[in-house]
Amino acid sequence: MSNIEPHALGAEAFFDEVQSFEFWFGAVEGYLTDRPFGHSSDTVDVALDDVRRDRLITTLCNYCVGETAALEGSSGLVRLAPNRNAKIFMATQVVDEARHLEVFLARLKDLGVDDAEAEIQRRANPLLLDFKDSLLELVDAGEWSSAVFAQNVILETMEFTVFRAHERTADPITAEVLRGVISDERRHFGFGENDIGRRVAQDPDLRSRLKDLRTRFDAMVVGVFDDAVGELALTGEGAPDLSRDYMDAVSRLGLGQ
Amino acid sequence: MAEFLSQYSIQRWLEACPQGYLEDTVYGHEAGESEPETVMMDEAQREAAIRTTTQLVVGERAALAASSGLVNAAPDYASKQFLATQTLDEARHVEIFTQRMYDLGVKKDDLESTLSQFANPNLIKFAEVLLEKVEAKDFIAGVVGQNIVLEGMAFTVFEMMEAGARDYNPKFAHTLQGTIADERRHVGFGENRIGSLIKENPEKRPEIEKMQRDMTYFMLATFADSFSGNPDPIDAPAEAEGASVEWQGVNLATATPEEMEALLAGTVLGEFKTRLARIGLEYQSPSMG
Repeated sequence: MSNIEPHALGAEAFFDEVQSFEFWFGAVEGYLTDRPFGHSSDTVDVALDDVRRDRLITTLCNYCVGETAALEGSSGLVRLAPNRNAKIFMATQVVDEARHLEVFLARLKDLGVDDAEAEIQRRANPLLLDFKDSLLELVDAGEWSSAVFAQNVILETMEFTVFRAHERTADPITAEVLRGVISDERRHFGFGENDIGRRVAQDPDLRSRLKDLRTRFDAMVVGVFDDAVGELALTGEGAPDLSRDYMDAVSRLGLGQ
Repeated sequence: MAEFLSQYSIQRWLEACPQGYLEDTVYGHEAGESEPETVMMDEAQREAAIRTTTQLVVGERAALAASSGLVNAAPDYASKQFLATQTLDEARHVEIFTQRMYDLGVKKDDLESTLSQFANPNLIKFAEVLLEKVEAKDFIAGVVGQNIVLEGMAFTVFEMMEAGARDYNPKFAHTLQGTIADERRHVGFGENRIGSLIKENPEKRPEIEKMQRDMTYFMLATFADSFSGNPDPIDAPAEAEGASVEWQGVNLATATPEEMEALLAGTVLGEFKTRLARIGLEYQSPSMG
């Protein structure tokens, strides 16, 4: 990575810097070097009882659904991106999402799942599949702002929130894999909030369109969070409020209730 | 299939590319390298370099659009994962060749107009034939067009340019070396992945062969435009004369533009025939009439 301090740059130079391959590589190099498939070879796997193992498989299968949605969404968004910097950023996101898919598939294999594609089909949360279809419809319709909002704000915030909650209680290998993924998600929703924030500020109609979209997605998001709470056994005192990060993100964009 | 596709995982790509041959590079070349003064001081040479680099940016933008579009059309996770790495490779190529435009003195605000001014119309038509298949989410035709035809062409063009630049412009040669390594991987995936799919879908052959014929037509027309009457068609000017610039047994410093065009076209078409045969397709010669 270059030694430039991005925040000391003017707006145009800032985007040249932070949306480049060079910046991406500098960002991921630190947490991917010596971590094949997302974790160090020194990290010791622990035996999981049958119930916990089965829950983890369901959770990972749904992470794969989310990452496939993000992979297909971001790859479609490369074509729609309005400028070269955004295209290059989206291309870095494509490879990030594909890496997440790969590390979750590898973890499923560690857990004894031989036919991951069949297992994912069997265990996929229907709400998440609906979300994926809705996102890809926006991409196919060429709606850059709506698709970036759905993907880089809603989906990424949803994943970030669930992964962070899961990381605190996960077995050591899954936790390490999740920490690498969380670092990427932070970059992705940073891009989404920045891009959408600037567009909303310039286009009042866009704000109302995105509010409508948010209303459409709310039920799916809350349903996915409810299911995640059950799968990850995040109940009881001190349990994280998964909806709060999502609400905070949409509020920052002026799209709250 | 699964075993061969494991060779194209993100993990392998991370180890081979960003953590391998790109380690310690800046925009694809060594830190501190710059364009030769002879190019920057001579307006005709600088414009020739901008014209050549424009074609590289246009070609890489097409490859970026195609590879990203093919992710959604891929029938399995492993192919999606490989195409994700290819998407980022192509985006990097767009970035480094765009950076070369800036290094050659093109102002950021003038980038798009400069590209429009110098882009070869036949190269744009070549890209349009491919992107039509991608838009239609036709995975088999898209991969043949992208990873066999486009990448096969790019691979050979870059090799020729790299040979021409090696001594007189190490910065540009180094930039090309990284892209050649990437293109080799992309062509390998195309050959390995698509052969079995063509065998399973023989009805697709006529349509794919037509696409290859059309793309080849526009490629040869691009070469003809680029070499015809151009004293510096491969961005290796007279300063390279006398240096070691041999490629495919021909001294590029002394070859005429016509000889270079024939050499490049012959090499690319030879590669096409070999690679298409490997995936069970017969090369279709375009009518240049």
